[in-house]
Amino acid sequence: MPWELLEHQADVGLQSTGATLEEALADGVRGLLSLMVDPSTVDRTQTFQVTATGNDPGALYVDLLNVVLATKDIHNVFFHDITIDTLEEEHGEWRVTARLSGEIIDLSRHAVDSDVKAATYGGLKVSHTEDGWLLRCLLDL
Amino acid sequence: MTRTTYTLNRTGTYRYDIPATGEMNVPARIFTDEIGVQDLTKAESGEWSALQQLVNVACLPGIRKAALAMADIHPGYGFPIGGIGAFHPNEGVISVAGVGFDINCGVRSLRTLLTRSDVAGKEDRLADKLFEHVPAGLGSTGELRLDQTEIDKVLLQGASYAVGLGYGTPDDLGFIESSGKLDGADPSAVSQTAKKRQMRQVGTLGSGNHYVEVQYVDEIFDESAAEAYGLQPGQITIMLHTGSRALGHQIGTDYLKTLEQASKKYNIPIRERELVCAPINSPEGKAYYSAVMAGANCAFANRQVLTHLIREAFQDALGTPPEDVETLYEIAHNTVKFEQHEVDGEMNDLLVHRKGATRAFGPGRSEIPGRYRHVGQPVLVGGTMGTSSYILRGTDFGMAETFGSALHGAGRAMSRRAAKKQYPAKQVVDRMKQLGITVRAHGKHAISEEAPGAYKDIESVIDIMHGSGIVQKVARLKPLVCLKG
Repeated sequence: MPWELLEHQADVGLQSTGATLEEALADGVRGLLSLMVDPSTVDRTQTFQVTATGNDPGALYVDLLNVVLATKDIHNVFFHDITIDTLEEEHGEWRVTARLSGEIIDLSRHAVDSDVKAATYGGLKVSHTEDGWLLRCLLDL
Repeated sequence: MTRTTYTLNRTGTYRYDIPATGEMNVPARIFTDEIGVQDLTKAESGEWSALQQLVNVACLPGIRKAALAMADIHPGYGFPIGGIGAFHPNEGVISVAGVGFDINCGVRSLRTLLTRSDVAGKEDRLADKLFEHVPAGLGSTGELRLDQTEIDKVLLQGASYAVGLGYGTPDDLGFIESSGKLDGADPSAVSQTAKKRQMRQVGTLGSGNHYVEVQYVDEIFDESAAEAYGLQPGQITIMLHTGSRALGHQIGTDYLKTLEQASKKYNIPIRERELVCAPINSPEGKAYYSAVMAGANCAFANRQVLTHLIREAFQDALGTPPEDVETLYEIAHNTVKFEQHEVDGEMNDLLVHRKGATRAFGPGRSEIPGRYRHVGQPVLVGGTMGTSSYILRGTDFGMAETFGSALHGAGRAMSRRAAKKQYPAKQVVDRMKQLGITVRAHGKHAISEEAPGAYKDIESVIDIMHGSGIVQKVARLKPLVCLKG
């Protein structure tokens, strides 16, 4: 699995891998979405453009996860999936734009699980090898 | 993160220190027992280490006396859960990790005029009505729809905003920490994103370890304090655990970035990225403090609205008049506040961070409601859905030892994933039923993740804290009905 949840006594670690940074970022978001609600119960009737930034790929990962959480609350929606559109780095500032597909929350249909308060810098890890990217951070539940 | 092996030296009754060496400005001090020491040192080699986190806190500039942790210590992010750090107002720092993302998360206890016999046989009806009246779980929204102007009022007025709308009464306010409103809140220090996230969430319980629990007083340990707190054996009480919801989460998220930049700007040595901080008197530190005060007021308002909804559920289920459900006390366990404490024989203003730790002031402090002042502040400690909760009282010894701070719960002993595997929800619900406890939950894994076996033994944790003298037992509460998010 390109994302996995890691043991932590109180919260949960979210680790994501991908051949490219875009893939690792997208799969990390998929892990976050799956933790909150079964994505197969969420239709793709709306699309939300989001932007995340960071001064390194780790901060970018944490920011993207937090942007997803904020977008969920602001628009009262759950998401089915994410598509990364652009990824840029300029003078050490990383920026990603993406589209989240989903729909307005309907608790009669959506199989909800854990709420996630925030993605944190706790246990933040980034590695980039010839095999690809690995991103990891701790989620506060 | 720097990792090393630490030795815990016994320095008092249930008190263990890692002496200040290397970059540590003060010792790291934990109130626990031999079993706790074994657990902590065993866990130290793992991926996340509560001991390492406490040592990292001991290295922060301006920290006073010791980086402290209570018997419910377990790994958090940046600070350990159960951790306390008090800082000099001029030399010290303020940290996002010392507060957490659920700003001013806390517990309110309500006492009723009901006894066990009034509830007997009606537990299912009560559980259903609580489930119906209290918005809980991921995706739930409150009955309030607030625009930005109204959100700003929440951030300034705290619990009194909710009372102004008819949620509860002014009598509640006198029995909330800081009367349900912290000074120094600045709504302009809170982002638009944070405010927009909160517009549907005032008056919601949330999920995870948040709950509403109907309990009864099982045993009284301190007659005089119990009388002051209005507690009698067999009496029905209610415990509510929740925080500042999405607004608090977003303040933490926003200021993590701000304080990361500030750490670099002010050359503060950071041993873990989550432990970023800013000098208390810096513009960044002041802005974060103002935002935290605003977030705290949001949590006060949230618990006030929920208190009203709980009263409605009781009225609906049992015909209980709302005035028969009184606020006993409300206390937070994710906070940072300026308080006066004695250090080296002098009273000082200190900025006290409590991350998963409760204020526990001893007798005589002016911050305690007059009715309770002679016995000390009520300290509310939630257990699990299948075990006891406790009402304790603060002591003079605790004022001297821990800046008037104590534990906040049993403390997790098992990861959520492991609990999910080990405790199937149906098995937990059936076991609870055998114990006479009725459970309702929204999230599909909420019951498994919060199973009693996933937590430390509350009786042992309480005995340690009582034995240390930091707090004293007043009453043990046992669960009857539990609503989880």
